[in-house]
Amino acid sequence: MAETPTSRIWSHRLLFAAVSLGIIFFSLVPINAVPSRWIPPDLLLALAFAWVARRPDFVPVWLIAIVFLLTDFLFQRPPGLWAAWVVIGTEILRSRTRSLRNSSLLLEWLTAAGIILVIFVGHRISLTITFVPLPPLGRSLLQVGATILAYPLVAIVSHLFFGVKRTAPGEVDSFGHRL
Amino acid sequence: MDRGSGQDFVGPLRRLLVGILLLFLIGIFIVWRIDSPRVERFRADVIDRVVPSFDWVMAPITGTARIVADFQSYTRIYEQNQELRRELRRLQSWKEAALQLEQQNARLRDLIDMQLDPRLTYVTGVVLADSGSPFRQSVLLNVGSRDGVRDGWATIDGLGLVGRISGVGAETSRVMLLTDTSSRIPVTIQPSGQKAILVGDNTIGPLIEFLEDPDVVRPGDRIVSSGDGGVFPADLLIGSVTLGTDRRLRARLVADYERLEFLRVLRSQPSEAITDPGSLIANPGIGPMPVQDRPDG
Repeated sequence: MAETPTSRIWSHRLLFAAVSLGIIFFSLVPINAVPSRWIPPDLLLALAFAWVARRPDFVPVWLIAIVFLLTDFLFQRPPGLWAAWVVIGTEILRSRTRSLRNSSLLLEWLTAAGIILVIFVGHRISLTITFVPLPPLGRSLLQVGATILAYPLVAIVSHLFFGVKRTAPGEVDSFGHRL
Repeated sequence: MDRGSGQDFVGPLRRLLVGILLLFLIGIFIVWRIDSPRVERFRADVIDRVVPSFDWVMAPITGTARIVADFQSYTRIYEQNQELRRELRRLQSWKEAALQLEQQNARLRDLIDMQLDPRLTYVTGVVLADSGSPFRQSVLLNVGSRDGVRDGWATIDGLGLVGRISGVGAETSRVMLLTDTSSRIPVTIQPSGQKAILVGDNTIGPLIEFLEDPDVVRPGDRIVSSGDGGVFPADLLIGSVTLGTDRRLRARLVADYERLEFLRVLRSQPSEAITDPGSLIANPGIGPMPVQDRPDG
C-alpha cells in the first residue's frame, strides 16, 4: 500500500467520525414517531468498543469524547455523563488490547460485554446518586443485551469493510514504534 | 509489557490528559445538574446548529423510507378502497347532521349572546428529526424562537394533539410527544366530563390516570384537553379511551404518529389571571367608610 501508517491512522480516524455521524443520522431520521416495541442496539457504543479492542490508535480518547458528548446533546441525555462513562469503558478496554490481540473473538466479546455492563451499571448508579430520573430498567437492559449481541457483527463488519484488523506482531507505526 | 520502550514517557502524561478529559465531561454533567436551564439552552443551540445541517442528507433517506412504507400500503389498496367507500357512506349522514347542528348552534349562541374564546392561531412546522433514543419520544420542528415559538405551546397534527413544545432554539424547537415518559397532560373525558391526567409511558397508548370515577368512563369515550393548569388551550381533541391488554385505561391517539410530517404549533395566549380577592363594594354615594376618631374619655 502506498499510504504511510500515519496517514492510515488519520484516514481511519476520519472514517470513525464519518461512520459515527452516519449512525447518528440514521437514528435521527423521522420515519415513525410510534414508540417501537423492540429496542435497537446502541450501535455507536458497539462500534467504539470494537474499534478500541482492535485498533486503539484509530480511535483516540478525544475522538470518543467528542462523538459521545455530541450524542449526549442530540439524544436528550444528561450531557457529559454517558460520554464520561464511555471514556472510562474504552480506557479499560484500551489497557487490555495487548492481551486481547492473540485471543479469540469470543474472549474479546466477553471482555467487551463485561465492560459494557460495568459502565451501564455505573451510569445508572451515578444517575441515581444525582437524582436524575432514570430510563426504565427493563428497556435499558434490553438495549444493553442488544448492544452486546450486536458487538460481534459490528466487529466483523469493521474488519471486512473498514479494515479494522488486529495488529500483527511486530507491526510498526511510521516512527518505528511497535504497535 | 513492551508498549514500546520509547513510549514510556507518554504513559503518565496520557493518563493526566484522560483524567482532565473525564473531569471536563463530568463537569459538564454537574453544571447541567446545578443549572439545568442554561445547559438546556446550550443544548438547544447545539441542536439548532447541527440538525438543520443534517437536513439535506436526511431528506432523501426520509423520502425513501416513506416511499417504501407507501409501497407496502399499495399492496392492499383494494381492501382500503372498499373500506373507505363504506366509511364515506357512513360519514355522509354524519356530515349532514353536523351541518344542521352547526347552524342550530350558531343560532342559539346568537340568542344568548355568548362570548367565545378568541380563535387560536398557529405556526406550521416540518418535522426535522426524531429523538434518536428509544427512551425519549420527541421530534424536532424547523420553527423556533425566530418564529415566536415558546415553551409549553400545544402542537397538533391537524387531527389531534401530538405533544407540547419543550426546548426552543433559534430555528428549531423540540416537541415532547404525548408518548414520552415525562409527558403529563390534564384531560377531560367526554361525555362524562371526568377529569384525568394523560401519562405517557413509552407506548403508543398513554395511560389515563387519576380518574375520580372509572366506572362512568367507557372505552370509546372522547378525550380532549381540559385546559386545567393554564398550560394548554382547552378542548383540543386527543383521542378515545381504550382498555389496554393489561386492563388499564389507555388513550388511542387520534394524531397519526406513524407519519408526523407537518405539525401546527398553537399560539396560546396566557389566560388572564385574577390576582386580587376583590374589594369591598360600598355605596358610591357614601364613599369609603370613614374611620372615625372617637375621642375616648
